[in-house]
Amino acid sequence: MPTPPTRGTTPGPPNVILDPTGTTTTTKTARPKAPRARRPASLKGATVGLLVNTKQNAAPFLDEVGRLLIERYGATDLMARTKVNFAQPAPDELIKEMAAGCDVIITGVGDCGSCSASAVADGIAFEASNLPAAAICSDAFGVTADAMAELRGAPGYRYATTPHPVAVLTPDQVRERAAQVLDDVVALLTR
Amino acid sequence: MTGTETPDPDAAQAAIEYCYAQGWSDGLPLVPASQPLIDKFLAATSRAPDEVIGELEQVGRDCTVYLAAVNAAMAGCLPEYFPVVLAAFDALMAERAARGGGWQSTSGPAPMIVVNGPVRHELGFNTAGGAFGPGFRPNATIPRAIGLIVRNAFGIRPHVLEQATQGLPGRWSICLAENEEESPWPPFAVDGGQPAGVSAVSATLLRTCEFVDNRHTPDPEQVLWDIADTISRTGSLIFRDTSAGVVFCPEHAQMLAGAGYGKAGVQAALMERCGRTGADLRRAGKNGLRGIARFADPDESGDGTFTRILPSPRHVPIVVAGARNAAISMVVRVFGEWSGTATPLEQLPAARERPAVGLTND
Repeated sequence: MPTPPTRGTTPGPPNVILDPTGTTTTTKTARPKAPRARRPASLKGATVGLLVNTKQNAAPFLDEVGRLLIERYGATDLMARTKVNFAQPAPDELIKEMAAGCDVIITGVGDCGSCSASAVADGIAFEASNLPAAAICSDAFGVTADAMAELRGAPGYRYATTPHPVAVLTPDQVRERAAQVLDDVVALLTR
Repeated sequence: MTGTETPDPDAAQAAIEYCYAQGWSDGLPLVPASQPLIDKFLAATSRAPDEVIGELEQVGRDCTVYLAAVNAAMAGCLPEYFPVVLAAFDALMAERAARGGGWQSTSGPAPMIVVNGPVRHELGFNTAGGAFGPGFRPNATIPRAIGLIVRNAFGIRPHVLEQATQGLPGRWSICLAENEEESPWPPFAVDGGQPAGVSAVSATLLRTCEFVDNRHTPDPEQVLWDIADTISRTGSLIFRDTSAGVVFCPEHAQMLAGAGYGKAGVQAALMERCGRTGADLRRAGKNGLRGIARFADPDESGDGTFTRILPSPRHVPIVVAGARNAAISMVVRVFGEWSGTATPLEQLPAARERPAVGLTND
């Protein structure tokens, strides 16, 4: 059995209670501050990337946001890709491809424990590739999205939210939600 | 108080409160870990303290043998349990869901750890009644160690990166030592690719457990139908396929074996019988398929079709656990799918005889 932390019964200094997190014994806490991409003045003529995370209604939601950006804000093209593993960060090749082919990008819809955090992590990764990003999350996952932003060196990273739930919305309701979040998305993507 | 022969409760309480104040606890008191204690854990394995045993890419955190030892000690493990903790963690990290978003998931899944071989008796695991606990130190503290590793080493804490909607009873507390002595079938570790008689650990993630109490029929077919009905409920179906294991009590297992059933036969019977009609699925809003995800499709044309939900024997893992005193088995709802692999335990036969200090240098 271990010796209990009695003082004065053993020679030398008392034992230290050990930290089980590893964060005080490694350098991982000292992360560089994440960069933020330079914003265009408007979306006129822009190619808008859509990174769909396969959650229910994510594809029609982002498709409608893209359509509205063309119709109302003068964007010209859409480049939609699907992220197969919604819980993990987007693969490097996908980030490179989107950064090369788009002017701005929208990720989402963060609608679960891992994918909300992941949508924000992707947004921050795109920013580092100088691609302005707007992540869209359900408002039930704000805390986990914020925690991920902090982990990625971007505390206070701003993203757009839409009321929970998203998965049960009808096609008409999805379009309505896309329209509601549109101004926030534009504000996140432009200066 | 100094100089007394008995431990100092005031110092112990202060140390426990210190651990709470650091945010390390799962809610229950922790054993404060000290270097001399951790040295004993590290002496129970040949693996280097700085070996990384698990990495969670999305949160940028990893777990080393050293951190696993600190968390295992805090969970209440004895040093000699440490090889089982490491094997259980290795087995879990073979699960796709555990490497991905499982620990963050709204479903809040629980690891189910299954221990086979001589280590069950060497370390005093409960292999009989009350298999799902509580009451036995290795069965209770080893899964708790996994939970503390996830919380502390991976940094996945409730309400923050952990987003369980309701969680489930028994999270971080399910460690079954298979009742090999009363099982008519080969040990579970054999299904995971290990030879019989070897100490090995298997693990998967569960969404819940559900009992099947069927003690009044002598007919094994009726028992299988009863289990199939429990597996087939629509509430747990979210994808096209599902995975559901059965932790058989010895009585059910022996009844089935007596009728000629091996594990493969049981698995085949359940794969054949588990499922629902299109009409049932439509009433539950789960008849449509978009990719592999189910959704509510108003189309009634599939109402008459029977849909099977267990695609392969690996989706029906079978374990035997518990006492021989009643015919009560447990359906265990696997989160994702079991990797199908068991991890052999590292054998350090001399470890327990060696002195407790000065062992970490080679």
